[in-house]
Amino acid sequence: MMRNYMAVVFDDTGGAYKGLHALWQLDAEGLVTVHGTTVVHRDEWGQFQVDTKETHPALATAVGVGVGALLGALAGPAGAAVGAAGGAAIGAGAGGVVGLTTDLVRADTRDQASDETAFILRAGQSAVIADVTEDSALAIDSRMRELGGIVRRRSWSTLQDDAWFDDYIPSSYLYPYEYIPPEYSL
Amino acid sequence: MSTDINKDLDRVRASAQALHATISDSAARRGGAVKADVEAVQQKAKAVMESAKASLDAQNEAARKYLKAALTNLEAVQTHAAEAAKASGQAFQKSIRQTLADARASVEKVTEAVAAKRSAEHSKSRK
Repeated sequence: MMRNYMAVVFDDTGGAYKGLHALWQLDAEGLVTVHGTTVVHRDEWGQFQVDTKETHPALATAVGVGVGALLGALAGPAGAAVGAAGGAAIGAGAGGVVGLTTDLVRADTRDQASDETAFILRAGQSAVIADVTEDSALAIDSRMRELGGIVRRRSWSTLQDDAWFDDYIPSSYLYPYEYIPPEYSL
Repeated sequence: MSTDINKDLDRVRASAQALHATISDSAARRGGAVKADVEAVQQKAKAVMESAKASLDAQNEAARKYLKAALTNLEAVQTHAAEAAKASGQAFQKSIRQTLADARASVEKVTEAVAAKRSAEHSKSRK
């Protein structure tokens, strides 16, 4: 069994919520164990938005900081640092994209970076961010592919070792059950 | 036999998830949680604790370790909910936030117990 953080990228919000639902279905079938999920959108101006129940601006920002850091971390080790810092300043932050450019210039980690930084959330796209224990990548990869989603993973233990996560407990910003905001209900 | 135990653990997890949803819904409401919410939280936390305790003996060692940790978190839920019941203003909202964090931690531990249980079953089925 492996525990992984993952981002499943979809071209639209509807697809992301179908992906979120499918992930929890896989959990109900006992094929994977989902610890938490949320959905992040990137609007046409490049701004990130995290779906949350929070209505208090400061608390919603805290969620944005945490998920922004996680998003950056999913883009690669350097992205974790940039994502956390960026998240602190602008909520959900721009960690994914900044992580991409930072990592690509590091020749010594190019192979790793080319894999890890393949994650890009382009304008208009949405991603399911999840913390999952899985026996193999097959169940999630095949179900998400059917739905048009592209899965990117980073091992949970690697992220826990990132110094940048000392102040952030990524899972605590994810909903530990299937939460779909009323406006997106399937 | 193992299917029944697994379902039992799944039920504990579902009730812990419902507890978190109750607290997060009320905390997120505009104007925040109210005293009546706290009573419901205390009752739900007590029910989750009882079902977690009842399923403890049926689990393997790894799952039992996580469930025991969840019980500690659930005790903290009750403690902070009790504090919220006596508090007002910002102190009340602070206690609600702590209650929510404890509930999140309890779901996490129960989910880890579920993962440990499933892992053991998958290993057994592969042999």
